[in-house]
Amino acid sequence: MIFKVAWRNIWRSRTRSLVVISAVVLGIWAIIVITGFSIGMVRTYIHTAILNEWSHIQIHRSDYFVDKALEDTLPNGFAIYQNLKNEFPEELLSPRLLVQGMVSSPKAARGVTIKAIQPGPENATTELQDHLSQGQYLDVDSRNPMLIGEDLADKIQVSLNNRVVLTFQSYSGEITAASFRIVGLYKTKDSRYDSQHIFVRQEDIKKLLGGDGLHEIAIRVPDGTDFQPIMDRIVKEYPGLDVQSYKTLSPDLELYESTIGLTSTIMTIIVMLALIFGIINTMMMAVLERIKELGMLMAIGMNKQRVFFMILIETLLLGCIGAPIGMLVGYVTILLTSNTGLDLSAYSAGMREFGLSDIIYPWVPPTIYWQLAIAVVITALIGSLFPALRAIRLRPVEAIRTL
Amino acid sequence: MKPVIVTKGITKTYQPDTIPVHALRGVDLTIKEGEFVAIVGPSGSGKTTLLNIIGGLDRPSEGYIEVGGKDISALSDNALIDFRRDNIGFVFQAYNLIPVLTALENVEFVMLLQKLPKDQRHKRALELLHAVGLDDKISKRPIELSGGQQQRVAVARALASKPAFVLADEPTANLDSVSTGQLLDIMANLNREEQMTFVFSTHDQRVIDRAHRIITLEDGKIISDQLGHG
Ligand SMILES: Nc1ncnc2c1ncn2[C@@H]1O[C@H](COP(=O)(O)OP(=O)(O)OP(=O)(O)O)[C@@H](O)[C@H]1O
Ligand SMILES: [Mg+2]
Repeated sequence: MIFKVAWRNIWRSRTRSLVVISAVVLGIWAIIVITGFSIGMVRTYIHTAILNEWSHIQIHRSDYFVDKALEDTLPNGFAIYQNLKNEFPEELLSPRLLVQGMVSSPKAARGVTIKAIQPGPENATTELQDHLSQGQYLDVDSRNPMLIGEDLADKIQVSLNNRVVLTFQSYSGEITAASFRIVGLYKTKDSRYDSQHIFVRQEDIKKLLGGDGLHEIAIRVPDGTDFQPIMDRIVKEYPGLDVQSYKTLSPDLELYESTIGLTSTIMTIIVMLALIFGIINTMMMAVLERIKELGMLMAIGMNKQRVFFMILIETLLLGCIGAPIGMLVGYVTILLTSNTGLDLSAYSAGMREFGLSDIIYPWVPPTIYWQLAIAVVITALIGSLFPALRAIRLRPVEAIRTL
Repeated sequence: MKPVIVTKGITKTYQPDTIPVHALRGVDLTIKEGEFVAIVGPSGSGKTTLLNIIGGLDRPSEGYIEVGGKDISALSDNALIDFRRDNIGFVFQAYNLIPVLTALENVEFVMLLQKLPKDQRHKRALELLHAVGLDDKISKRPIELSGGQQQRVAVARALASKPAFVLADEPTANLDSVSTGQLLDIMANLNREEQMTFVFSTHDQRVIDRAHRIITLEDGKIISDQLGHG
């Protein structure tokens, strides 16, 4: 019957209770949506960065990153590439030759990383061809074709079909310059990346370098596959090589990934702190306006534990009615937006600066619903403490005397 | 007959540190089982104070008080609440009932606090509401009942725990004369047929007329204790 009393008591001041319940609904919904949105953003960012830039795993010579020199090629790079291709037929591999150099137009010059690639494997791994905004991919029948990022093209003021000069050191240590034709312009989600990388064919550059070799083998696992076991195998099989995942290659990706869990926790704490004051306030009013009634109840034999329990149940009910509603609304919101995605292309110019995509697919970890349920219960429990303590501090004589 | 209430030398002083108010100045009183007692006296004479002390709602400044043979001054606050629940029925002037419960549920509530099983509670609540003539109002909430009907529910509720006696502080103060008469009839009936002890305070001459014993307080002292005409 205490539950019945508590439940009906909530509806004595309908408006006041509805305000609290709506606040809970809104708060829970906001936690879910904001969490879903920010996680979606981070996940899209990470996904894009892995797809276009880092792949899951990269293999280099053990000392490659010391000075990224031309001669730091993988020992027997092509053999390793062949072996890996045979061993992991499902995975997408791209062998690369990387040259630090300079691109110059008649107007300007910039330092760049020249990625000398094999058009087929590279496209399979990073979907480079999909990012062409103008022109064609490198598999054209042309001498010294080259792809350049739009941002870089703007900076050095060149356009499609223009010729630019690439300058770099050859294996023999001589400065070499060659003319390349811009056959295509590409644009990824990350403008910083675009202004630092140009793509040419391995077969074209190896003649100019006076030697062949590979600096990097990038491996992307298909969607839904865990890269870790594959990486572990490669590490074991090639102990002398530098094998890294995107997490260590790009520490900010690792950082972003670790924030995924944190987002909902921080949001939950903020919202619950706000809610707790609303709950305390409402329940305090409910206790104070029922002083006589509570005094009467204590007079006729309702002991302090029971009075405390009643206020506690009332607060719990008040706090928790809204939670499932908020969760449902939040769940539906995420469900609806996660399929179509939220199109932020209106703001995409700004977003691209940070390497963010224009379409966000909101997502929340399913555990968030448990977290929220527990958080609401704890919040209501804490919120009930002060009103319940106030209630049992009443002395029945004084409460009744005010009749 | 056994005494249910015994007080010896009870005093009560409010605000002893600032401006002391001597609400009771030595009350010796014995009330026996089955009595129907009115406590009367001018406003401020200490009636409510005395009833609260007898009912274990308040503690005397000095003196000894025994209810049903038990010294209640030694009980802790929480033990006192349980003692009240099991031994004393209360009828107040107003705010007697839980507004969100029906008449039946209100009567059952005390027995719930006593942890009586559901069917026993229900049966006894129905009997009591029948005894106070409210068979047709059992599922009404207090707000749907008249003042007199509410006080009758309160009487039923007071009896539900099978107390040693019922205390009522001005139970008819808010009632018209018809309701006052009905309530007194019910109380007198319960007193006669079930030997339930009633102690009530009142200003109303018609209520005083129904009492079997009339104790008059003045200035915190008993100035007369005589048989009534009821
Ligand atoms: N909590 C309190 N603090 C201070 N004085 C009090 C308190 N309660 C009662 N008094 C005083 O004690 C005296 C007795 O009060 P009490 O309420 O017992 O009188 P009463 O006979 O019930 O009066 P009434 O007929 O008006 O109900 C009064 O002078 C009153 O002002
Ligand atoms: Mg009084």
